[in-house]
Amino acid sequence: MKKYISAFVAGFGAGVLHVVPVAKSFACCLILPVASFIALLLDKKANPTYEKISMKKGAKFGLITGLYAALFGTAFDLFITLITKNNDIVSMLPELQKMIIAFPISEGLRTEVLNIFEHVRNDILQYGFSFTYTFSIIINNTVINSIVGTIGGLVGAQVINQRMNNRDNT
Amino acid sequence: MKLRFRLILFIALLFWAAGIFFECIALPFNPLIIGYPFVYNTFSHVCHQDPDKLINLTCGSTLVCARCTGIYLGLLFNSTINIFVVLKIKTSLKLLALCTVPMALDVLFVVINIYPYSKAVAFTTGLLFGSILFLYLYDGLNNLIVEIQNR
Repeated sequence: MKKYISAFVAGFGAGVLHVVPVAKSFACCLILPVASFIALLLDKKANPTYEKISMKKGAKFGLITGLYAALFGTAFDLFITLITKNNDIVSMLPELQKMIIAFPISEGLRTEVLNIFEHVRNDILQYGFSFTYTFSIIINNTVINSIVGTIGGLVGAQVINQRMNNRDNT
Repeated sequence: MKLRFRLILFIALLFWAAGIFFECIALPFNPLIIGYPFVYNTFSHVCHQDPDKLINLTCGSTLVCARCTGIYLGLLFNSTINIFVVLKIKTSLKLLALCTVPMALDVLFVVINIYPYSKAVAFTTGLLFGSILFLYLYDGLNNLIVEIQNR
């Protein structure tokens, strides 16, 4: 655990930023890759060494940052949904419904899809919790954050190693 | 990197890029529409999805903003080239800065209202950034594979 404290800190930050709308629209897709990069930088500061960061370490730190971000992001999202009984999905549902209605699909399929939407919306508005929504964001957050985090870790390790190279050359 | 790894990388990026155009892809494959909320939610993790910043096509709109579409298509574009010709551009911090600065400046100028948001500018600067990002990603994966094989 202590070894990955920087990943924990950066992952927590990314998880928080994922639920802050203004920060989300500003940093867009770069929140998690930057968090992985920061985790590596923090680790380098905590354990100063002249050795280059191995790609395995970069990928591992990125993956763990992503998993922490998924954990905190999901927890905050579910907690806020539970308290406010509202979230992004509920807000965008009318738009989604309009899109499904305009889509050239069979009546049976349309009704089925709209029923699923309606079920999720009603659960969230009534109880602040929907099993389908919870399942969906747990899977989504875990898979996407770990992939993006690992990519961020790999790219971050490359950037840090190049900075070290430049410093050695001067 | 061996061709099979380059192909795997290309297929992964192609799959990801296809998701951006899910609305268009779901049009001829109707049953796919049932997965729309899930795919939409997936991309909400990597983009703010501001409706004013999405690229509107005749078959629907993209699931990420113009800038993110540019970044991901930049990655895919270089990955496609990389299947046929192994890219041997040496990555450097100067090159990374050179390709990141236009995107960062565009974000800054839009935020401080020097000029209004333009999808074309956002897409182009994103494309430039995505292209250079691929080189870093490719180098990183290449080194990772070498490290694993040398273990």
